[in-house]
Amino acid sequence: MSFKITEEFRAKADKLRARYPRPDAALIPLLHELQREAGYVPEEGMDELARLLGLPYSRVKAVVTFYTMFDREPVGKYHLQLCRNISCHMAGAPDLLAHLKRALGIDEGETTKDGLFTLSTVECLGACGSAPVMQVNDGYFEKLDTAKLDALLDDLRHGRVVPGGR
Amino acid sequence: MPKITIDGKTAEVAKGTTVLEAAQQLGVYVPRYCYHPKLPISGNCRMCLVEVEKSPKLLTACSTEAADGMVVRTDTDKVKTARRDVLEYLLINHPLDCPICDQAGECGLQDYYMEYSRAKSRFPNEDKVRRQKRRALGPHLVLDNERCILCTRCVRFCSEVTKTSELEVMGRGDRSYIDLKEGKALDNGYTLNLADICPVGAWTSRDFRFKQRVWFLKKTPTVCLGCATGCLVEAHHNKNTIYRLSPRPNAETNTWLCDRGRMTYKSVSAGDRLVKGIVKNGLIELEPALREAAARLDEARDAAAVLGSPWLSVEDNSALALLARALKTENYSFDFSAEQGIKDGILINKDPAPNTAGARQVKAAAGGLSFSDFAKRAASGRIKLIVAEARAAAALKDELKAGGAALVVFAVNRGEVPEGAQTTLPYASYFETQGTFVNYQGFSRRTRPSVEPPEGVRPLWAMLTSLASYSGLSLGLNSGDDAIRGIKK
Amino acid sequence: MENILLKDNVTGLESYFAAGGYKALKKALAMKPADLIEEVKKSGLRGRGGAGFPTGLKWSFVPKDAEGPRYLVCNADEGEPGTFKDRELILRNPHALIEGMAIAARAIGAGTGYIYIRGEFVAEARALEKAAAEARAKGFIGGNMLGSGSDFELYLHRGAGAYICGEETALLESLEGFKGQPRLKPPFPAVKGLFGGPTVINNVETLASVPAIIDKGGAWYAAIGAGKSTGTKLFCVSGPVNKPGVYELPLGAAFRELLEKTCGGLKPGKKLKAVIPGGSSTPVLTAEEAWAVKLDYESLAAAGSMLGSGGVIVIDESQCMVKLLQVLARFYHHESCGQCTPCREGCGWIEKIMDRLESGKGSPKDIDTLYSVAEGMTGRTICPLADAMAMPVMSFVKKFRSEFEAHAAGKCCPPEAPVKH
Repeated sequence: MSFKITEEFRAKADKLRARYPRPDAALIPLLHELQREAGYVPEEGMDELARLLGLPYSRVKAVVTFYTMFDREPVGKYHLQLCRNISCHMAGAPDLLAHLKRALGIDEGETTKDGLFTLSTVECLGACGSAPVMQVNDGYFEKLDTAKLDALLDDLRHGRVVPGGR
Repeated sequence: MPKITIDGKTAEVAKGTTVLEAAQQLGVYVPRYCYHPKLPISGNCRMCLVEVEKSPKLLTACSTEAADGMVVRTDTDKVKTARRDVLEYLLINHPLDCPICDQAGECGLQDYYMEYSRAKSRFPNEDKVRRQKRRALGPHLVLDNERCILCTRCVRFCSEVTKTSELEVMGRGDRSYIDLKEGKALDNGYTLNLADICPVGAWTSRDFRFKQRVWFLKKTPTVCLGCATGCLVEAHHNKNTIYRLSPRPNAETNTWLCDRGRMTYKSVSAGDRLVKGIVKNGLIELEPALREAAARLDEARDAAAVLGSPWLSVEDNSALALLARALKTENYSFDFSAEQGIKDGILINKDPAPNTAGARQVKAAAGGLSFSDFAKRAASGRIKLIVAEARAAAALKDELKAGGAALVVFAVNRGEVPEGAQTTLPYASYFETQGTFVNYQGFSRRTRPSVEPPEGVRPLWAMLTSLASYSGLSLGLNSGDDAIRGIKK
Repeated sequence: MENILLKDNVTGLESYFAAGGYKALKKALAMKPADLIEEVKKSGLRGRGGAGFPTGLKWSFVPKDAEGPRYLVCNADEGEPGTFKDRELILRNPHALIEGMAIAARAIGAGTGYIYIRGEFVAEARALEKAAAEARAKGFIGGNMLGSGSDFELYLHRGAGAYICGEETALLESLEGFKGQPRLKPPFPAVKGLFGGPTVINNVETLASVPAIIDKGGAWYAAIGAGKSTGTKLFCVSGPVNKPGVYELPLGAAFRELLEKTCGGLKPGKKLKAVIPGGSSTPVLTAEEAWAVKLDYESLAAAGSMLGSGGVIVIDESQCMVKLLQVLARFYHHESCGQCTPCREGCGWIEKIMDRLESGKGSPKDIDTLYSVAEGMTGRTICPLADAMAMPVMSFVKKFRSEFEAHAAGKCCPPEAPVKH
């Protein structure tokens, strides 16, 4: 996909850059912004950001590939990110993962054919007290069990729950 | 000045000296991979860990500044264990392909393994992390990410030396890999330095790959003649063939070497290498060629001229000056000038010729016409024959056309020979003979022969001596040094 | 005693102000920076992010005569497994953090502050943005704080998914727009930190504790807690307990009290097997050790572990320690930045051994290798992530060796339904 930096994006970039004494400090905030607009971080987006900030492309790519929140490929409308770390594990995350795979008919890292859901596992989301936890786009869903998961998937499919982001 | 003790040896070192540098001054070798004296400190390989008194943890010698009263040990069990461990970690994901790896014999992993480890691997081969294998990146290099130990020397070279920043470590953890933008070539003019500084076989030279096992190579220190910078280099050769040039790092001129300079050795055995003479485009044996040139010289005699060259050594220019003297002609010039200085901020000189300053030294001793007067005379038709080096003669193209003088030129490769040369004579390249060159900084440096010249081909001063003798003249030369001494008389 | 940090109904500025909020800032702005640092030193407050370094001392490392801008950075990159206190604090009492930062900025002479919050905390970031806007509107932060002549610009900066950015120099790298790879020290951030300027980096909980200290005095704060572990601490309890969550207790509280009284004990039918007391990186305690331990820096160190971030992970008898260590190994392997050889290679190696052992395909030799790989990573890297992997490995193997041996003998747990060994 082609990505072009809009005037609106440029204005946001200027605002963000003003927060730091060096323009390149705005790289990560701008990548978030870019991903919000494009749904992921496309190759052209990295080129454009590098140009905008006067950085070598390699620096942008290194940053994008280092941090887990930047998607290099398009993801579904709802990105289900199930925590698999210790507290969530003890609270039944493996069962929830198996349940999600069955319910959606996809494996980890895959997207449903209708483009609605991408399933991922992630490391600690920092909400262990309400384990097991899943992040969907910008929102956290906590103290989950299979019944709550089914209800959540249904709500998402019917637009009754709209987690922020994307 | 801080006083530091390393393994019982004490020295005073300049403020800001690191423990690693201080150890070097004291003759204590500290193993390292990521450290490079000319690159910023990275501290990532952890091979240079040493024990510092009062520090509970081992410290990296490369990044720890020497402090007054500091007591360092590099030979304790704690240090030895750390080195052995780091090597083990580095080797678990390194492929065991030494038999087909070009780095074998000059590999940091092989060397340190023998010196500091020799432990049996505890890591199952099938568990090794797979990464992208060999891939040509640019005109000069091949990258094998599976062999990479992520020391980041190459990344730092491209960001700090060439300032082109093409390379980065992508990803994270043991999934990290070196890369640049997909589809882009790595071609910044200095890329082969990466093959030199890479401590393992991740970056290798496309030119050198699989040509020769490094332990067969002999190394001859010499000088790069790719431009007026005159970098110190060494030629690596075996059985009368040169395989590569490497920089000889020095404080005065160069740590690195440019890609173009590295390839200059190729002229020695290039397809157009001259091993015979050429008369009017036809190859002939050396003796008849010399006789032909002598005959032309006899014809012209009073109207003969001699032109020096910024491409030739001081010795060979001096020999040309002695020919002019023997011919008793006023028509000679060693007056070369060029704007000099580093043009790219790294090594490449504005002056493409290696010995402009050396030719001027000959002018100072032997006199002669200014270049413009020489050119005028050539254009006016007063000069009937010019003896010159091929590339210097090429500068007189228009004047030769106007004045009609014949050319007797010396050349190493046929490609250097200007159109219309009457006779061309070969001479030994400076990989085959010694010669003095004065670089842009005024340093006088000598090439040293690495290989034998082709049969019958001799240094220019010797070829010139033969030519003169066929013309009944004696230059009185038994060596290049005789020529330098000769012009001072 | 009354909570200092976790208070009810102080989310908005008005309620926070009504409860005495921003009184401390007013007081601080009338004090000399050196006196502020002295007061914090007197309080004995120690870094709540995990390392426990004395906060006042850290502030005092900023060179008095340093030229150029200085920075205050709040580390809200909460990511240590088992830790979720900063999130709670930000959602419940965001102004305590902002006020604490304004005071700290005054103490170290910083005109600019950044809150580096992990990227996944979107709701928390919004809560902070809102609180900061409220504080700015009232002149508590921004140019000429409360007419004092001191400026303090505060910005929120979101991370992008990297546990390592909780390490303070990796955090600075990330804030500057680089990969989060820890820096070599020295120079320490107090001398050369963010954008090359003197920088203090403090955890959310640490900074949020400052207003009460300035308001009521360092001596008052130092009287709470036990010995050198002064004040209150947020404990995050996860695992099979009746009331998991974040609780504020004076340091030195007994683990037994936290588990049985505060958290209502283990879930019915569950029996305590082990406790990881301070976030996943701290050495595990056996049930016996845990029942006897007090929750403060010194007591936990004496028990062979650490207070860490206060992330108390409760493990019951139904859990397989081999499986849990495999889960942790996968995490550290995933998060190692890849810079230092021992950590980059060691974390992957450990995960591979754990995969083998857990699936019953390992051998007794693997257990020794596992331990020695961890040992070889300890104390040999730029930052403590390698140690954070090695500590659980070594303590799990040491204290629950029989489970590892059972796995090595091929007695693996059925998938996802661990059995007793």
